[in-house]
Amino acid sequence: MKRRRKYTAWLFLAPSLLLYLAFFVYPTIEALRISFYEWSGFSKEMDFVGLNNFIRLIRDTSFHAALKNTLVLLIIGGVGIFILAFLFSFLLNSGIRGKKIYRSIIFFPYIIAPVVHAIYWGLLVFSPRKGILNSLFKLLGMKSLAEFAFLDHNHIFSSVLFVVIWINVGFYLIILLAGMDRIPGHLYEAARLEGANEGYIFFKITLPLVREVLTILLVFWGFIAIRMFDLLYAFGGLLPPREIWTNAIYLYIVGFGKRDPIFQLGYATAIGFVTLILIVVFTVIIRRLLRKEIYEY
Amino acid sequence: MKSNRTILGRIISHVFLVLWSVSVGMLLYWTIIASLKTNKSVFKELWRLPEALNFGNYLRALSELNFASYSLNSLLIVSTSVAMIIVVSLPAAYALTRMNMRWKNPLTLFYVAGMGIPVQLLFIPLFKSLSAIQLVNTPIGLIVVFITLSIPFTVFLLTGFFVTIPTEMEESAAIDGCSEFRTFYRIMVPMATPGIVTAVIVNFILLWNEYVLALIFITGKKYRTLSLGLYNLYAALQYSSDWVSIFAGSVLVIIPTLIIFILLSERLIAGITAGSIK
Repeated sequence: MKRRRKYTAWLFLAPSLLLYLAFFVYPTIEALRISFYEWSGFSKEMDFVGLNNFIRLIRDTSFHAALKNTLVLLIIGGVGIFILAFLFSFLLNSGIRGKKIYRSIIFFPYIIAPVVHAIYWGLLVFSPRKGILNSLFKLLGMKSLAEFAFLDHNHIFSSVLFVVIWINVGFYLIILLAGMDRIPGHLYEAARLEGANEGYIFFKITLPLVREVLTILLVFWGFIAIRMFDLLYAFGGLLPPREIWTNAIYLYIVGFGKRDPIFQLGYATAIGFVTLILIVVFTVIIRRLLRKEIYEY
Repeated sequence: MKSNRTILGRIISHVFLVLWSVSVGMLLYWTIIASLKTNKSVFKELWRLPEALNFGNYLRALSELNFASYSLNSLLIVSTSVAMIIVVSLPAAYALTRMNMRWKNPLTLFYVAGMGIPVQLLFIPLFKSLSAIQLVNTPIGLIVVFITLSIPFTVFLLTGFFVTIPTEMEESAAIDGCSEFRTFYRIMVPMATPGIVTAVIVNFILLWNEYVLALIFITGKKYRTLSLGLYNLYAALQYSSDWVSIFAGSVLVIIPTLIIFILLSERLIAGITAGSIK
């Protein structure tokens, strides 16, 4: 009986496992292997170069800039998203009417296609002089803001960062709210009976009890932020401007991009390798930071 | 939930929430309004409502710009992919949570860890593999990629659901002499329906919205997906100034997700939160 059970378990796993191994795991290992070679992709020949690609990375200023952007996106973007998510959860959890409606509305941008966001923000909102923001400020008579170039070299990354935060808040908000809903009501009642105000309740009761959920969310954000591609790549139209290049974008441009006539696939996968390490490091850090005893309730 | 909030506190909260909601609504409003204008008036008279409702923009997008065929491609490719994702992941999630296997935990981790791998790392070797078996620029090739890349997350979601289902049902079925397959098919699948629905909706949205994999694995117009078509149109903006078509295309892309949102947002939110909090 038990032998049959084991056998059928593997049968249940087989289809997904085969696909996964063939088209996910194997390519991952291949990618790591390719990073030790130089390969143009056109010929079948690859030249083994050992750690050369990685040494090149250390000296590559474009990579430095991309890495910096990735980290800013991860950290500043993460801070922005989570502060807003907590703020909204605080506002929505204090007996306000329309909680579910607000929650859905804030979540809405998350399910809209990144291309559409890139078009809306890049073409309609941030467009210089004639876009929504600039013309709005002009109507309001705020001259300096009416001339503010959201899409120029200095500001475009911040503009994109704002959009990223705006899109993502809803997702983390809804999960945070669900986590908070699991906190037993009697804890709140007891605190209120003793005269605690909302702020105190939030920081001393709610926050510590959502630590587990928060850890998962932060790790998830790490996955998302470090490999964010769709929105950023579409933002500039034909080619995203250098200022918003992150690791993921740089990898793609080096590997498939239109700039160099020779595709440098080995170098590109080296970038991918480093990006993967970044994800692992971030995950470990988050789990270390937030690992404390789980409060029993 | 009672609270010690003041009236002022409530007003400020509402103001903030309403402002944010307005910013969300503007996305829909402006995109739709802009799609109904003419190319001349889009930016010149940004704040005025369109003089006439230029539905011709949509007709043009659908026929001349091939958006109708792109929509069909997306519909077929994404639907097939989502169906197959469930077919493949559901038994796997069941096996990983229910069956007595020594390798249960490491295997689950093996699947779920895939979520952390940056997809871009796989572009190159996947392209190499697929072109070796002649599946580049074919719908099947893209479907295979879609399915495989969705497995980690879907398995993660579904195992989260299966864990919450009590085991008594299977035990009694086993006592009644049901085989594993029957137990799975007749009992577990119906009980896991909320999880399945969530997985279907989430995967549909993700795959409908994506354009990068399509950009890499589909090279011609014949099998192009809608999101990719929109991206191409936007990327070609330097050569044409046909803004209104881009906005019309945006609306076309939004429509399915908008419908899902209107009809199913509560379900979707409930499903996502249930699957994440284990």
